[in-house]
Amino acid sequence: MSTQPDTTPPGAIAVYDERQAGILRLEAFGLVAVSIAVLGLVIFAFLLSKGLASAFTYRAEHTYNYAGIQMTDINAYIQAKKVQIQPISAEALTAYNEWASKNPKTVNVQVLNQYLGDDYNNTGTIFNYMAVYVSGGLGVSCEYCHNLQNFAAYDLPQKTTAKNMLVMQFEVNNKWVNNVPRPEGQPLYQIQCATCHVGAPKNWNKTLKASNPAAFGIEGGGLPYGYEMVDEQLLKTRPDPQTGEVNYYKVTATKDTPAGLDATYRNQNQMYHQTVALGVGCDFCHYGGYFASYYVENGSFKWPKAQARHMIGMVQDLAINWWPQMQFPAPETVAQPNCYMCHRGYVVPPGASNTAPQPAQVSSPLIKPLEELPLPKPITP
Amino acid sequence: MASEITRVESADWRTTRRFYLKFLEGLADTQIGPLYIGVWGILALVFFAVTVFVILFGYLEQVGFNPILFVREFPVLSVEPPPPSYGLKLAPLAEGGYWQIATFFLTLSIVFWLIRIWSRAIANRIRPNVAIVFTSAIFLYAAIYIIHPISMGAWNEAPGHGLRAQLVWANAFSIKYGNFYYNPFHMVSIFGLLGSCLLLAMHGATILAVVRLNAHREIDEAESSTEGTHRAQLLWRWVMGFNATATSIHTWAIAIAVVSMVAGALGVIFSGTLEPDWFQWACRAGIVPGVIQPGTTSVAACLR
Repeated sequence: MSTQPDTTPPGAIAVYDERQAGILRLEAFGLVAVSIAVLGLVIFAFLLSKGLASAFTYRAEHTYNYAGIQMTDINAYIQAKKVQIQPISAEALTAYNEWASKNPKTVNVQVLNQYLGDDYNNTGTIFNYMAVYVSGGLGVSCEYCHNLQNFAAYDLPQKTTAKNMLVMQFEVNNKWVNNVPRPEGQPLYQIQCATCHVGAPKNWNKTLKASNPAAFGIEGGGLPYGYEMVDEQLLKTRPDPQTGEVNYYKVTATKDTPAGLDATYRNQNQMYHQTVALGVGCDFCHYGGYFASYYVENGSFKWPKAQARHMIGMVQDLAINWWPQMQFPAPETVAQPNCYMCHRGYVVPPGASNTAPQPAQVSSPLIKPLEELPLPKPITP
Repeated sequence: MASEITRVESADWRTTRRFYLKFLEGLADTQIGPLYIGVWGILALVFFAVTVFVILFGYLEQVGFNPILFVREFPVLSVEPPPPSYGLKLAPLAEGGYWQIATFFLTLSIVFWLIRIWSRAIANRIRPNVAIVFTSAIFLYAAIYIIHPISMGAWNEAPGHGLRAQLVWANAFSIKYGNFYYNPFHMVSIFGLLGSCLLLAMHGATILAVVRLNAHREIDEAESSTEGTHRAQLLWRWVMGFNATATSIHTWAIAIAVVSMVAGALGVIFSGTLEPDWFQWACRAGIVPGVIQPGTTSVAACLR
């Protein structure tokens, strides 16, 4: 800062102009330079905040085709996430061999033989299933659930939880997964243990969620809702039992829509969660011109929107009917399900399988839904 | 005092309570001051300070008065309006009361600032054009924060006070009302916004182009055109076939900026009150085709 006498007399235009011309040149240069610098800073800050690598790989559209056929390899995913898988221990193998030699036919098996057939009355078949899907999916050895002296006993609480989980898995596959509206030729993937657990027995609790929201598909957040998928409103919403019509998150206004934007904020938070969970942009499911539409302008049907609506119903079912019955060792610590629980940033969940055995319909499952939730009416072209 | 002010370039004016910031040479005039405070200025600043205090206190309360969290979460912190259940009633502080207080004082602050600009223009013996044009921006503010929420019956329709909250509101508002891009008032508003930029760029570039011919002395030029003006105007006659004058270009600039603000405000006010779904309006207007309904194979008529 400096002070100086103004030596320019009023009306001395030429002197003033010479100075002004220089200033104007500087102005032009300065404006361009500042604009470039500001733009550069914004880009730099963005890249820094996202991490250089993730900024360039944020969207995963390149990993699937439109029908969602390409599947992410579960082993590659587990390796990338550095999940420690505990192999079946030598002690457990020895104990199993001893058990199997004494009991070639299963003892006290209650679920697998119901859903997967008589083959599963053989101890060896059960072991194969357990080793591949349960032990492999949770990354644990047999003794995590079993008493190695008596594989049939239920003296560890984990085993009861696992049994209930198997019932839930098969029932959910039968009710929801097998009825996903999908185009002809799109493969059908089954839920298995690894779909949610991806190599860890306890990976979905409130403590972990609070410490690392991004690991639960909750990025950003903020008031007033954050990105909780299962909220009070989703728990209350029901498909019409007659028509199957349901409005989980629809917000486009009509003349009767009540005032307020809270429902829209909720909708947007859920949608944002879904983009993070599946690694896609809005236009994966939506026609950008009119989000309420199931068709894009050229007349092609947005299958993913119809599928997402169906899957929201499944998440609701998990929260209402199955979570309360799982007999978790510490139920109060378990987090509510959401899309990321299985999808992990991919359209097809890394832990889903299209080779797992298909479950049969069981008339009297070991545990039943607490409430009969009607399927939402499938939206198809 | 007012009688002493004749021209901005007057030596008397420039030597009264002056000091210079040389580093501003490239971006602005180097002279700082004199600054007029006055009653309206004080009122505006005090009420604005109250607004900022209430908003920041709301932020701090949300982060448990943790300064590190406050800094880290600042871009997403927001003082939100009350939930829809409160309608237009007063709400408890944590449930929108902060927003109501902040918005009340912000509105007063803006109005007092308008009066300050107006009164300074009168004292300066110039027409209050700046104040008049400022009312168009205030109209847009009022439409978003006051008129539309009142006409819908809930403060919840207004944006929160926060950086992210503004973006979230713009997105949610568009989503709720069909698609704001198909709101014809929004279309006009965007035309005005982009048109303002275009006009400003054309004008700025033109004047800079003829600086060596003294055209930057716009007031002199307006009173008595010189070679700079003539050449600048010739440029546009060559390029477009016609030109604005050194005076009318500023009228154009005001008009198109005001159109942008007023049209934007009307677009907000009419959303939900006259038209709940602008995509369907665009459909009825023949701008977009109707969307196909599941279970059919052809484009349906507009839904509503």
